[in-house]
Amino acid sequence: MTETLIRLAVSALLIAVMIGVAAWARIARPTAPLDEAAARDLLAGEFPGMNPDYIWIAGDGAGAIARAGAEALVIYRLGDSWVARTLPWRLALLAPVHRGKVLLKLRDPAAPMARLAVSGVAPWPPQSPAEALAA
Amino acid sequence: MTFDPIKAAFDPVALAVPIFVITIIGEILLGRFRKVKAVYEVRDTATSLGMGLGSQVAGLLTGAAIFGVTLWAYQYRLFTIPMTAIWAWVAVFFLEDLTYYWFHRLSHERRFWWASHVNHHTSQHYNLATALRQTWTGGVAGTWLLWLPLILIGFPPAMVVIQKGISLVYQYWIHTEAIRRFPRWFEAVFNTPSHHRVHHARNPRYLDANYAGILIIWDRMFGTYIPEDDAEPCRYGVVHNLGDFNIFRVAFHEWMAIGKDLAGSRSIREVFGYLFGPPGWSPDGSRDTSATLKAKWRAREAAAVSPAAAAETAPLQAAE
Repeated sequence: MTETLIRLAVSALLIAVMIGVAAWARIARPTAPLDEAAARDLLAGEFPGMNPDYIWIAGDGAGAIARAGAEALVIYRLGDSWVARTLPWRLALLAPVHRGKVLLKLRDPAAPMARLAVSGVAPWPPQSPAEALAA
Repeated sequence: MTFDPIKAAFDPVALAVPIFVITIIGEILLGRFRKVKAVYEVRDTATSLGMGLGSQVAGLLTGAAIFGVTLWAYQYRLFTIPMTAIWAWVAVFFLEDLTYYWFHRLSHERRFWWASHVNHHTSQHYNLATALRQTWTGGVAGTWLLWLPLILIGFPPAMVVIQKGISLVYQYWIHTEAIRRFPRWFEAVFNTPSHHRVHHARNPRYLDANYAGILIIWDRMFGTYIPEDDAEPCRYGVVHNLGDFNIFRVAFHEWMAIGKDLAGSRSIREVFGYLFGPPGWSPDGSRDTSATLKAKWRAREAAAVSPAAAAETAPLQAAE
């Protein structure tokens, strides 16, 4: 038992060292804030065949919500990668804003909630229906 | 070295731990100085390594019960295979690797076992740390039962445990983007970084492929081999990537999703489908499985080449 605990403790210590080296190395993928072209590229990869007719970019560029028919296509940054989900557009429009972030319930245990930054330039929901419906 | 047929004389995985540490640090350093392709995100790395440690703890909790069942089964063996015979090691090498292939295939193609295995695929990176993102629930899922036939044939439990360890250590080093390809003969016979990158990719064309442990020959024999295409780089992770780095979500999210589906199921057929159908199965077909994702991908490819032909084949492919 003692031997097992020592082995686990040493493993934990070695893990800390490896994480430290990874943090020092800074070799994650570069992730520039999204603009519309970058968001469209990402959406095309994540939702092939779905053509968004409107894209809202989060205030910090770390996510986007796009409308494709009755669906909202949601992408948001996680570390240096991206997470993508869909939900009905009407539910996305009703999503509450709390402490500067729109909270989108994704109904998935693997990704229960997306939190995207809103701002004066990028309020949520979009200020006019015309904007949300614009091609 | 002793040849106790019950208790393994050594644990290949434990012996390899220093190699794991040195090579992960080495891969990071080589990536840092741009000598090889290596991408490490700190929280992703922490999650992978934390899952590895948690897997060790989970193994301690279920190991005794699994060992007990294995010993019980060994009483009923057909033959007594000596651990000292070279032919026995050659035989267990091939038979264990074949068993691994089917274990791995089952773990991808049936949701109950996918729930246990999915965590290994949840990183959106492919590096040596990803290799250590191991299951916490394998003992509960019962996939270890697949190795019992080897015990019943008469391979000593220690021999099977050692060979399983050797296979696991072999599979460690192939989790890297630092190595592109080996000579053709090696790629034809062995599982390699190139083959296994395909296995970890979520591009529709690469789904459900290359289940090999050590030998890629099983995929070639059973029709699940897909070569890496340089024109389509692998995108790693799962079809629906995880929303955060929470280690418990990594370990249990698919079990939670199964529970949610079972709670809403309305018939035995639905219960069976949610548990043992392919991942993504749903009663009304509204969710995507690997098969439907591949069908849609083929339809898009066909449309890109010939829109008219695609219009004819799409309905057929979607029905697959």
